[in-house]
Amino acid sequence: MRILVGVDPGHRSAAVVQLGELLARSLDAGLVVAAITPPAWSPIVRGADTEWQRYARDSANVVLDHAASLLADGVKSGELKAEFLLHEASSARRGILEVADDHGAALVVVGSSAAGPIGRITIGSEVDALLHASPVPVAIAPRGYRVRRGARITRVTAGYSGSDASADLVIGAAGIAADGGASLRLASFAVRPPGPVTTASGLHAEDAVLAGWREQMSADAAELLADISELPRTPASVEAVVGIGATWEHAMEDIEWTDDDVLVVGSSSVGPLARVFVGSHAAKVVRHSPVPVIVVPRGRAEVLAARAETG
Amino acid sequence: MATIGQQLLRRKPTTPVGANEVHLKRSIGLFSLTMIGVGGTLGTGIFFILSQAVPIAGPAVIFSFVIGGIVAGLTALCYAEMAGAVPVAGSTYSYAYATLGEGTAMGVGACLLLEYGVSTAAVAVGWSQYVNQLLQNLFGWQLPVQLSQAPEQGGVVNIPAVIVIVLCSLLLIRGASESTTVNSIMVVIKIAVVLFFCAVAFTGWNADHFANFAPAGFAGIVGGAGIIFFSFVGLDAVSTAGDEAKNPKRNLPLAIIFALLIIISLYVLTCLAALGAQAPGKFKDQDAGLSAILQNIIGSTWPGTVVAAGAIISIFSVTLVVLYGQTRILFAMSRDGMIPKIFAKVNPRSMTPVQNTIIVMIVTSILAAVIPIDFLAEMTSIGTLVAFLVVSVGVIILRVREPDLERGFRVPLGWTIPILSIIGCILIITQLRLITIVVFLIWTFVFLVFYWFYGRRHSVLGAAQAAGETVGEPDVPYTSTVRRPDQDGR
Repeated sequence: MRILVGVDPGHRSAAVVQLGELLARSLDAGLVVAAITPPAWSPIVRGADTEWQRYARDSANVVLDHAASLLADGVKSGELKAEFLLHEASSARRGILEVADDHGAALVVVGSSAAGPIGRITIGSEVDALLHASPVPVAIAPRGYRVRRGARITRVTAGYSGSDASADLVIGAAGIAADGGASLRLASFAVRPPGPVTTASGLHAEDAVLAGWREQMSADAAELLADISELPRTPASVEAVVGIGATWEHAMEDIEWTDDDVLVVGSSSVGPLARVFVGSHAAKVVRHSPVPVIVVPRGRAEVLAARAETG
Repeated sequence: MATIGQQLLRRKPTTPVGANEVHLKRSIGLFSLTMIGVGGTLGTGIFFILSQAVPIAGPAVIFSFVIGGIVAGLTALCYAEMAGAVPVAGSTYSYAYATLGEGTAMGVGACLLLEYGVSTAAVAVGWSQYVNQLLQNLFGWQLPVQLSQAPEQGGVVNIPAVIVIVLCSLLLIRGASESTTVNSIMVVIKIAVVLFFCAVAFTGWNADHFANFAPAGFAGIVGGAGIIFFSFVGLDAVSTAGDEAKNPKRNLPLAIIFALLIIISLYVLTCLAALGAQAPGKFKDQDAGLSAILQNIIGSTWPGTVVAAGAIISIFSVTLVVLYGQTRILFAMSRDGMIPKIFAKVNPRSMTPVQNTIIVMIVTSILAAVIPIDFLAEMTSIGTLVAFLVVSVGVIILRVREPDLERGFRVPLGWTIPILSIIGCILIITQLRLITIVVFLIWTFVFLVFYWFYGRRHSVLGAAQAAGETVGEPDVPYTSTVRRPDQDGR
């Protein structure tokens, strides 16, 4: 199994490399660190862009050297296997998909946009394009993400929405958690709408609805957890939580998070079957997540679930 | 097994989860509270109720509005005391369940289905009239009578009324929410439309229209009040917002009174303008009344178009609000085991009670499609009046049973206001048409029979008590389990 880490050729970032390392350690996978550079123009321009090509390659090499220095300890001790490569492609999305295909990567790791807040995930234009096209799961590191030396994932939190697709995702996440020796947590999130003011049915009429929703989600989750306990290989432990808040941020903060958590969310059930397409709820969850998020395409979730069920 | 008396009188414990944190954030000031009252009330009936009330009361319909307003104000004050005394969040149904017992709560539930469900149908029919008016003004074409009127008025089915209910239901299924900001915007739109109407209509003033002021005498005035009482439904929103009001002892009664003064002034002004502009005899069976009056006096369509557009926006928001209220009340009843569980199922994705909303949509659509507006308005009025009557009686019962209970707000002048409120409600009820009263009694009876065979056995509270849990402590004569004086050491 291989994990592809896509680094920005113009911008050194420890966050994406560290997330790649964490995942590689936990899943016992090899790393492919790739920087995508723009291709040279055809001979028609008679090498007028040679200087520019060299600059782009040099800059990408600086980034790759930086990544190599970050991974050096792990590679030296034999815990990690990593290769580094430059790849030319007309867009970052296309380049990453090509490399992922060539190396049979099971997972792509990318970083947040530098325009977002520290500690949160902001999806930049290239990652957005990748999310719409990737046939394999995409892990996104929050901006400024750091892990302890030698850390492994201790808990996989799976976003659960109650749909069948989301049940597949949870089973798949259970398989991943079992592989990495981590525990599994099901998390559902809801935002409490403002109180209805002129209906005279009480300002807290929605609280009862949310309580009903919470009961239903808990019952569904309990059933799912029972299914998971019958899998050939089970996570270290399982639990289900519900986060409710006045905003998505509060809803996400309503449950506790630790440094070695990752959050797994599924792509929308309305998008094309095999691709990642982040739905409106999932997009908000991604944006407000304090931990790295792995977005799994729906078709891939079924594959992962099938693999978890057969062991 | 509990005796029947115990079953009918069992009361819900009044310490909902999170009650304490709820009471910490008192964020709604006097202005917002007043706006809630105005927003909840204005726009329900004034756009179409004159066509029903003027033929009964004559120009004296002005006093019908004053009487209706005073009764609504008295009951709202009682409601505010009830809401402040019982630490539950919810509608009249929840308060009745916590203070007067399960049997009464179900009776109130029957009334609330009229106050919300039937009024949804009523406002939807009003909406259909203005939609037709707007179509006529803008495109010179309107839906034929077969598709825009109830059978009794020469049509077959009222399609626009069904459309507005379906649209609102879709919004609710998707998860629409209302906030104080949205409400304030709607209040501005509604007041602007009403004032625009008055400004234009006063240009056609003719004092002769008031010559035969009260053709049916006092009975006519009170009968008119029974119909127009419908246009005061929603004032109780102030009372239920009480648990988030800043300084409720001062602000609740002030907000009710201010809201009422604003609303009565606007209604009386509208009546004066409408009656000054159009002879009383012409009101009967007039559709989209306010628009039609303006067009008749100006001889041009644009003022009617403006009023129609404003009415369509405001009635739409009102439809959404009452429909929402209906689904949430049924939701609460279903969670208590009073009605089948399907009403409490929440869709995991939209996080709204989808089946509940669809059932309400279908039933209210059928009512709106085939029943004329005057009957719908009267049924709404009687349901609301009886629900308010129960609240007023409840205030007296609570004062006798638990005189020391800490109340967020206490109605002044002892028992005077609750008793006046009861008398006012009864007075108006007796002047409604016989058919309305009979249908109301049959409906309540059917609902209570349903309770007898279903709710009484499926009651969540009853099951908990039978299982020996100490919820509710039925033997303790205190409504509030959190504010009992003996536990507070007072």
